[in-house]
Amino acid sequence: MGCNVIFSPSPSRLLYVCPSRAPVALSLGPARSRNTCVVHIMEFEGCNCFRQRLVLSTLSGKRVKIRNIRSKDDNPGLRDFEASFIRLLDKVTNGTRIEINQTGTVLFYQPGLLYGGSVEHECNVQRSMGYYLEALLMLAPFMKTPLRAVLKGVTNDPTDPSVDLLKVTAIPLMTKFGIDGDGLEIKVLKRGMAPVGGGEVLFTCPVRRSMKPVHLTEPGKIKRIRGTAFSVRVSPQMANRIVDSARSILNKFIPDIYIYTDHMKGASSGKSPGFGLTLVAETVNGTFLGAEVVSTPQGQGDPVLPEDLGRNCAKLLLEEIYRGGCVDSTNQSLALLYMTLGQQDVSKTLLGPLSPYTVEFLRHIRDFFQIMFKIEQQKAGEDEQKGGEKVLMTCVGAGYSNINKTIK
Amino acid sequence: MEKKEQKRHQHKHSGPKAQKKNRKKEQGTEPEQDERKRNPRAFSVQSAVRMAKTFHRTQDIKTKKHHIPLVDRTPLEPPPVVVVVMGPPKVGKSTLIRCLIKNYTRQKLSDICGPVTIVSGKKRRLTFIECNNDINSMIDLAKIADLVLMLIDASFGFEMETFEFLNICQVHGFPRVMGVLTHLDTFKNNKTLSKTKKRLKHRFWTEVYQGAKLFYLSGMVYGEYQTQEVKNLGRFISVMKFRPLVWRTSHPYVVADRMEDLTDPEAIRLNPKCDRTVSLYGYLRGTFLKNKCQVHIPGVGDFSVADVSFLPDPCPLPEVIKKRALNVKERLLYAPMAGVGGLVYDKDAVYIDMPSGHANQQQEEVRPTTELVQSLIGTQATLDAKMAASKVSLFTGTAALTPEEVQENEKQNPMESREWDERAQRERRRAVFADEDEEEEEEDDDDDEEEDDGEQQSDEDEDDEEDEDEDEDGVTTQKKHDKKAAETAAPPVKKQKFEKPVEMPAFADSDDELENSEGEDTEEDESEEEENEENEDMEEGEPAKRCSGPDSGLCSEDDDEDDEEDSDTDEDGDGTVKSKMSSKHPEEEKIDTDDAEMGYETAGALRWKEDLAQKATEAYLRHQLAAPNLRKLVYGTVAEEEEDDSNDDEELGGLFKVNRPEKSKKVRADAMDCSRFQPDNSHDWDQEEMLASIRDCFVTGKWEEDKDAATLLKEDDELYGDFEDLETGQVHKAKTGNKDQAEGGNDDETNGGDDDDDDEEEEAPQVKLDDDEVQKNKRLEKKRRLKERFDAQYDDGDATYFDDLKEEMQKQAELNRQEFEDVDDEIRVQYEGFRPGMYVRVEIPALPCEFVTNFDPHYPIILGGLGPSEGNVGYLQMRLKKHRWHNRILKTRDPLILSLGWRRFQTIPLYYIEDHNGRHRLLKYTPEHMHCGATIWGPITPQGTGFLAVQTVGGIKASFRIAATGVVLDLDKSVTIVKKLKLIGYPYKIFKNTSFIQGMFNTVLEVAKFEGASIRTVSGIKGQIKKALRTPPGSFRATFEDRLLMSDIVFLRSWYPVTVPQLYNPVTSLLMPVGQKDTWAGMRTLGQLKHDLGIRNKPIQDSLYKPVVRQVRHFNPLHIPKELQKGLPFKNKPKQMQAKGKTPRDLQRPAVVREPHEKKVAALLDALSSVYAYKNKKARAEQHAKHKEFLKQKEKQEAEKQKRLKEERKKTYRAMGQKEKKKLKSSLKGASKDN
Repeated sequence: MGCNVIFSPSPSRLLYVCPSRAPVALSLGPARSRNTCVVHIMEFEGCNCFRQRLVLSTLSGKRVKIRNIRSKDDNPGLRDFEASFIRLLDKVTNGTRIEINQTGTVLFYQPGLLYGGSVEHECNVQRSMGYYLEALLMLAPFMKTPLRAVLKGVTNDPTDPSVDLLKVTAIPLMTKFGIDGDGLEIKVLKRGMAPVGGGEVLFTCPVRRSMKPVHLTEPGKIKRIRGTAFSVRVSPQMANRIVDSARSILNKFIPDIYIYTDHMKGASSGKSPGFGLTLVAETVNGTFLGAEVVSTPQGQGDPVLPEDLGRNCAKLLLEEIYRGGCVDSTNQSLALLYMTLGQQDVSKTLLGPLSPYTVEFLRHIRDFFQIMFKIEQQKAGEDEQKGGEKVLMTCVGAGYSNINKTIK
Repeated sequence: MEKKEQKRHQHKHSGPKAQKKNRKKEQGTEPEQDERKRNPRAFSVQSAVRMAKTFHRTQDIKTKKHHIPLVDRTPLEPPPVVVVVMGPPKVGKSTLIRCLIKNYTRQKLSDICGPVTIVSGKKRRLTFIECNNDINSMIDLAKIADLVLMLIDASFGFEMETFEFLNICQVHGFPRVMGVLTHLDTFKNNKTLSKTKKRLKHRFWTEVYQGAKLFYLSGMVYGEYQTQEVKNLGRFISVMKFRPLVWRTSHPYVVADRMEDLTDPEAIRLNPKCDRTVSLYGYLRGTFLKNKCQVHIPGVGDFSVADVSFLPDPCPLPEVIKKRALNVKERLLYAPMAGVGGLVYDKDAVYIDMPSGHANQQQEEVRPTTELVQSLIGTQATLDAKMAASKVSLFTGTAALTPEEVQENEKQNPMESREWDERAQRERRRAVFADEDEEEEEEDDDDDEEEDDGEQQSDEDEDDEEDEDEDEDGVTTQKKHDKKAAETAAPPVKKQKFEKPVEMPAFADSDDELENSEGEDTEEDESEEEENEENEDMEEGEPAKRCSGPDSGLCSEDDDEDDEEDSDTDEDGDGTVKSKMSSKHPEEEKIDTDDAEMGYETAGALRWKEDLAQKATEAYLRHQLAAPNLRKLVYGTVAEEEEDDSNDDEELGGLFKVNRPEKSKKVRADAMDCSRFQPDNSHDWDQEEMLASIRDCFVTGKWEEDKDAATLLKEDDELYGDFEDLETGQVHKAKTGNKDQAEGGNDDETNGGDDDDDDEEEEAPQVKLDDDEVQKNKRLEKKRRLKERFDAQYDDGDATYFDDLKEEMQKQAELNRQEFEDVDDEIRVQYEGFRPGMYVRVEIPALPCEFVTNFDPHYPIILGGLGPSEGNVGYLQMRLKKHRWHNRILKTRDPLILSLGWRRFQTIPLYYIEDHNGRHRLLKYTPEHMHCGATIWGPITPQGTGFLAVQTVGGIKASFRIAATGVVLDLDKSVTIVKKLKLIGYPYKIFKNTSFIQGMFNTVLEVAKFEGASIRTVSGIKGQIKKALRTPPGSFRATFEDRLLMSDIVFLRSWYPVTVPQLYNPVTSLLMPVGQKDTWAGMRTLGQLKHDLGIRNKPIQDSLYKPVVRQVRHFNPLHIPKELQKGLPFKNKPKQMQAKGKTPRDLQRPAVVREPHEKKVAALLDALSSVYAYKNKKARAEQHAKHKEFLKQKEKQEAEKQKRLKEERKKTYRAMGQKEKKKLKSSLKGASKDN
């Protein structure tokens, strides 16, 4: 799209031009062409919350300047995966202006309009696709045309939430905000494990004019547990071993457990070996709590036994259930963002304890949208055995409407 | 209004109708039968198809009536209704406003200047704004008006302004419009009057809607409209209902009714043209306003708000709604710009109106407003004076404390308060206060004279200082008197106020009030003492306020610490006077001299450390307990970060990690960006207790009481327990479970039954009562459940999607209203933003100085809030139509002034039309009667927003100024408009169907780009570009469907993208000097430029018209080959009529030359022959006439003969007929005889 990435030669010279400056002198007494448009720049330091800042900047239309990106590091500046993320943003927007200085320690980002359409992106293998997909999930409903993104790279790795987890937790969450229909799906075309990747994922999302307010205060009781145990370029028996060990723990709670085994072969198996498990607990009210564990990437750290992995994953799911809430811990920020961008109505969501990432996100929401959440702690009852403390988040939406969507 | 009593229907007493009715009455004594019953066939189904059709139709009509239900977001206490009074000049606008104000409030306003807010009823307030005859004002006011009173001079008729304004309204969402006809007394003749009324009414109806209200103000009495008519008009306004308009419900806006310049006077002195900081006041309307958001001020530009704070309502509705009408005290009037309720704006000064001196009684009337003013004045006294004057009583009814006493207190224990970080304090002082302190000192030396140039208007007053002696009359003197009074002793009014802290808010200065309320909000207990303290605070707080700049907010550093302190002292227990005073001491200290400060500092510093640990633990406990701490953890305030609760745990309640941005910033700044939440290591999921802790999260776990399957089943039993199986005749009885027992228990208990085993004996009667209650509740519950079930069963069939949606919206609205209802305003504002209906003060920095220097209160100042990314600029695609009344079409690339959203700006549009294949083709001019597209470079505005365009806002030149209207369709950062480009080439070599073309391109590369493109000749032969040729450069080989001629011209049709000029030039009409605000002129059109510079385009000679000279066409003769001729039929053979050649001489006959005699003979013969011819002719004519007569005769005879013959024939036929009849009869007779 019509975007220009400018790597300006000198680190100190960061040029940007307000395009709205009128080229004519006004007919005022003292001839000055003033305030044709407020140039509002948000300034940040460091590469922390990099995605949040850029995503919120894109949604709110505010310019962002990030300084001192790993300036004290031996290897200063933006990493490859961050550059790749910027490229992805560039692909889904129109008119974005990005300026990075020579060392890559200063980034200026002037967002364009979200365009969408068919996008194909080669994600950097340093981070898994979840890193990119999480941002796309936030942006996708506000595009001009429905997004159809094909991402290539690593589908599962231990650091980021994997594609499978987002598929089973984020997608049902999005439907609660009125983003539903045929167009919404995440599809794993090829699976690529951590060090080398080679996976391929298709993400499609319809566009919406505005978000519905939600009232997710009652998580409900868990009625079933589902999961996927996958293995690529290892023995297919691995998956079965994972399933057995995971069931051994979960069976104490509920009998309705089904874990699919997914062994991918040939072209769709990526370039590295590995295996893993994704579990999701569904409640009667349609809340999905997920957990996942992936084997350590080839050549990094000790190899794990599939039995251990299955047990760990089951325990992680129990931990997630202990945290509870209507949104699982990875998607907290997504839910909060959609609440913020809703109509000017009160939205409520019950969350488990806020993750540090979410806390940062809340701060950024306040900076970009001037929206503060009412945060109420809910203590569990004495005799109830429903896990830890919950937090009820309440906010009034910003009245955001999709300004990119064309009306005919 | 002037509807006549309609004539009633008169029944007929005679005539056929009456007879019919009578007959009916006599006969039909039986009751009127139902039509359907009486005539069932008429109502039977004739055709199923038709039935279906009619059904569909009715359903369609029904559904068409539905609107998409919207969540009701109207605030509980709505802002005043904006009533814009509009009309051409000299039509009576000001008079009408004056009359209406008099009608509502019994007060007279001399000059209508700026918005005037009044309380018009128990639930309604009105803001009147007069619209002057400037299209800028008209546009701005149309965007904010809830009701437009459109004044029309009936003696003149409609004027263009009226129609222009209506069109502006139409574009920006139609507010309510009510027409008012004035100058009706100029009509002498009653008939012309009624005729005019009717004519105007119908014209008005076509513009607004059929049946729109048009009001008539018949005449003037002593320069005012008739009281009764004004009263009626007032009633109409009071009951009018308004519908929400999309733009306004999605954007906050403030109509400023007060403006103050907050710029540092020193900065202005150094540079009179420096940017100004201005605070604007007004009611917030529309939707929630967020702090630090972007606003657009139409006529000035875009600004980001530095700070928003809400103030007590200067014109509140009556608190208690009683049945009676409003009393005089409740009929408030607030018009600071017009000099009521506050300030009078002069050209170079702001005067404060103080009605205390001249009209005591009047002051009583308008007390609440003047209190505000008084407090304003109060703040203008120097701090020393205020300190001296102020007295504090800590409890109602106790003696007031004098400053001396307070001083003593301070000296006794100056500690605690040093907890304030001195640094921040001093910083503040340095900012503004330091030099002002000196000033104040100087002023003190000068005694009272210059006291009044203190505060807000100090800049203006500085200029005034020289003149002050001269204009020591009127307002100024009055002010001074008051000042003096304030200094020497607390004025009686004030004193009274101090003793009654309840009335404090109305009295308080706006800013101070804010601070106070801030202080209050977080504190749980509002004791009287505190309020007293705040009174004092209010006096002192002013300077602090000025230094720091008014506080946004909400959770700023000092407030927090204040709270902390206050609560600390509260917890200390006794709340003695001393501790109170000491806690307040820092503020007082501020006004002390520097050395004293230093002295305290050391002492305070020591004290501060005394019970640090205890405080810390307290703070920690509070953190643990109170919910707001969670909020602080997330949103963190500055105070929180610096707080000394260092022994706070890293984890709070196992929930949150404490983030210390200050300390861990270096580490965090480059932390890993990952959304995964690492699990808590302390949880060991191998242990049984952990597993048990989430047991209930599963369906297999324990359910809540009300959702438990067992209880639900039991309830069902209660409802459906008893039933009889009809087939078997078996009767099932409900199981009498515990509950039934309990139900029956009542009776048992009275009988001394001992069923109730749970109850304790000693509380038996009490329990019995409770039990009763319980039973009753249970029964009610049961009833409710039954009813619900019934409703669900019987209403569900009827409930439609629409109903469900409506109900959902209703619920949402209810929730919106309730969610923050009980939260304190200060906190609420943080969550929601400032809600509409609040009176807010908006501080805007970096306004151009012209805004202040050229301020004219007659022009509306609007703060229009902008949504996210609405502050940016981009390309807008819009659908546009030239207004049918605008007399010229619009030209592409001519600058146009658009009113879009809140903004008015000049931009350069490009017009286009969408072709059938979706291509956007550039148009040179707008079509005459059709929509077209337009693309501009302008502010991002949501799709669906309407706009209007004018060519100029300066002066009144055009007949109808609105050039075009339309709507925004799409926003983008790039444009897709193309224009047609024809490339022309000529063949230079022609083979059969292949030709070499040159002249179309210049290089081989260009050709390569167009390989395969289709080309065409003018004569219509299509072809294709094949390949570039080496020489000459730019030539190529092309194939065609036929052989070209050398004279053919080949062209290639291509599309060339056009760039839209990036001009976005806001109309800055408010910055123009006073009196010239309607003369803003932006970029000129090309035509104007040429006209102004006297440039005339020389016409291209080739395109001039010349006399047509036609050559005579010469056609060659048709040549048919001989062979062909032979084969042709004779008819088609060319006739060989060759012109006769010359007769040869030998064949030519010689001419005859006659002899005279022969000539004579010939002449005679000629004469004879002519006589003969004449005779012949005559005879023939005679003959002809005779023959004619003969023919006539003959015809006559013939006719007679025919007649005769006919009669004869008739006779014979009759005879024959009779004969036949006879014959028939006879034969019949004969037959009968035979029979």
